[in-house]
Amino acid sequence: MNAVGLNITWIIFMPILVIIIGLFYLGAARKITARIQNRYGPPIYQNIIDVIKLFSKKNPTNHGVMFSLGPVMAFSGMLISLLFIPIGNKALLSFNGDIIVLLYLLVIAPLGMALGVGEGGNPMGTIGIARALTLMLGYEVVLVISIISVILYTGSASFMEIIKMQSGGVGHWFIWPLFLSALAMDMALQGMLGEKPFDQPVAPHEVASGPMVEFGGKYLGLLQLYHAIGIVVETGIFVNLFLGGGTLFWWFVKSFAVFFVALLINAVMPRFRIGQAFAFFWTYPAAIGLIGLILVAILK
Amino acid sequence: MTKAKPPKGLKGWAQGRSLWMLHFCTGCGAIEMPPTMTSRYDMERFGITPMATPRQADLLLITGYLTVKTLKRVIRSYEQMPEPKYVVGFGSCTVNGGMYWDSYNTIKRLDLYLPIDLYIAGCMPRPEAIIDGFTELIEGIKKGKFDGWIRYKENLEYYKRNQAMVMDIRKWSLDAELAERIWNEVQEERRKRFERATVKHVYELAERIPEGLPK
Amino acid sequence: MSLEKEQKVVDLIKVSFEDAEAEIQRERRVKVKVAPNRVFPLVAYLKGNGFKHFVAISAVDWIRDGEIELVYHLWNYDEKVHVMIKTRVPRDGGSMPTLKPLFNQAETYERDIHEFFGVHFEGNEKLDREFILEDWDGPPPMRKDFDTRLFSAEFYDQEDLESEALRLKIQPYKGHLKK
Repeated sequence: MNAVGLNITWIIFMPILVIIIGLFYLGAARKITARIQNRYGPPIYQNIIDVIKLFSKKNPTNHGVMFSLGPVMAFSGMLISLLFIPIGNKALLSFNGDIIVLLYLLVIAPLGMALGVGEGGNPMGTIGIARALTLMLGYEVVLVISIISVILYTGSASFMEIIKMQSGGVGHWFIWPLFLSALAMDMALQGMLGEKPFDQPVAPHEVASGPMVEFGGKYLGLLQLYHAIGIVVETGIFVNLFLGGGTLFWWFVKSFAVFFVALLINAVMPRFRIGQAFAFFWTYPAAIGLIGLILVAILK
Repeated sequence: MTKAKPPKGLKGWAQGRSLWMLHFCTGCGAIEMPPTMTSRYDMERFGITPMATPRQADLLLITGYLTVKTLKRVIRSYEQMPEPKYVVGFGSCTVNGGMYWDSYNTIKRLDLYLPIDLYIAGCMPRPEAIIDGFTELIEGIKKGKFDGWIRYKENLEYYKRNQAMVMDIRKWSLDAELAERIWNEVQEERRKRFERATVKHVYELAERIPEGLPK
Repeated sequence: MSLEKEQKVVDLIKVSFEDAEAEIQRERRVKVKVAPNRVFPLVAYLKGNGFKHFVAISAVDWIRDGEIELVYHLWNYDEKVHVMIKTRVPRDGGSMPTLKPLFNQAETYERDIHEFFGVHFEGNEKLDREFILEDWDGPPPMRKDFDTRLFSAEFYDQEDLESEALRLKIQPYKGHLKK
């Protein structure tokens, strides 16, 4: 009975916690980028203010039912994926194969965006979402290759199982035996997070913030929340697979560390063209991932 | 019908601390923005960030002279912004025309056509002046002092009439019916002005040309 | 500095266009005055003789003569010589054949001059489209007899509208002034 009560409390508080921490991640990202660029930067809670403001805006433009459903679909797709990803050694749904389910759920969000943007009818949005889907095609291959090598190594497709196998200190983390796969996945993560050099979908100077071009007010607020959850989920996959999970505190510390690496690359890199980004994903990270996979297959 | 009011309290505070700016960079004001945004003056510490589209913006920043052709685009951008929205006129060109005050195709006073909340004077204003203006704006928004978009809505006919005097508003207005009506109403006045400004004076001016000009 | 190459261009023009007044203005500048109907063949002839770059068309309003002078600028990359072809059309109802068949970019310059000086270019199909001035009902604004100050005062001062604004109590925000 007690466990059920705990689960219900967790299911209510966990998304709120993840959203707030995700927004703090975004705020920290702005602050750190500012410090790297020798600026003072906004306060670390700036993105929370932004979201409050966006939800208090009146009469944002609406182009139709699908337009308003798009952000909702993106947001809820990310929210559902929170069920499957263990945060602090605790997953709400855990079974053999939940990694595969999560991979499918991650695709819902961009597709939802694509539907909303399609109804918006802005050519910039269409270009942006086309870029986002092209980029997804690029990094998903790398992501799947490195996840398969982890599954092959452990013989399990469950996050909790994999975390359990890594328990017992830093030396047991899979980042050491599966270094090449981890490296490939970190490169894919840069694309998933949409940080430079892979921020073609939202490039404000080229396509006027891409998919978000027609969204304003509460729709944009929802997309901000989606982005905040997305960062935690995407870095969380890496933490669970290669850095051994951890208690709630250490889980978020590791997740932020992964995000921090992406951030440093983001702050100093220019932007690829979409063709270059796609070609990059299918050459170097894919090759590194494949070598890692073959090594695992041979040495296992 | 209750009178619309600018946001106060938490909403006002959030609005003040997070101003997303659509900088409509006409004229030389555009060159004062990069120093204000980058490391020396760093506008982002107040939460002011440039945005790419009017749908996401709260603050319309007009940084210089506006020709009639540009004014159309500005008004269209302004009408697409979600409320609450603020307009800041930037430099003497928006105040009284500046050095373009006798140009045949440049408007003089921007607040005849759009509800200005704040002017930053100067030709051009230094980044210090811009930051000062923005701090005033933020403090005012937090207290709910600025109500430009409400003035625009309440006096829509007045603003539309002014706009119609200098440009064809029919293609550029969200409220097509009102635009059509006002456009038809001002035609007579517009024609008179064109006559006064051109036909009557054409030959007088031709007479005024001094002798001895090279042929 | 010898003016050999400039003299060569002048001779080149004199051979085929006896009615053209060609002269050397200074180093690398050659000035030609021709009748309006001879501009097209002259430009075509120069294009065939190395003047590949059509730089611009400019216009001058000679109000006392009742004429508008059009200046066609051509540039020869090999010889490095600039030729200005000057011709005059009447101010009222002046018309020129378009140079579009020779140089595509002439179309845009002709639209510009049509809008600002009121010269008609025969054969230019885009002439009636709005180019820079939108919704313009007045005379071409770059002519000498257009009083830009008066026009600006009529349209953009709008004192009666300001008094209307006072009546409607539309005032810019003044609360930021320190007491």
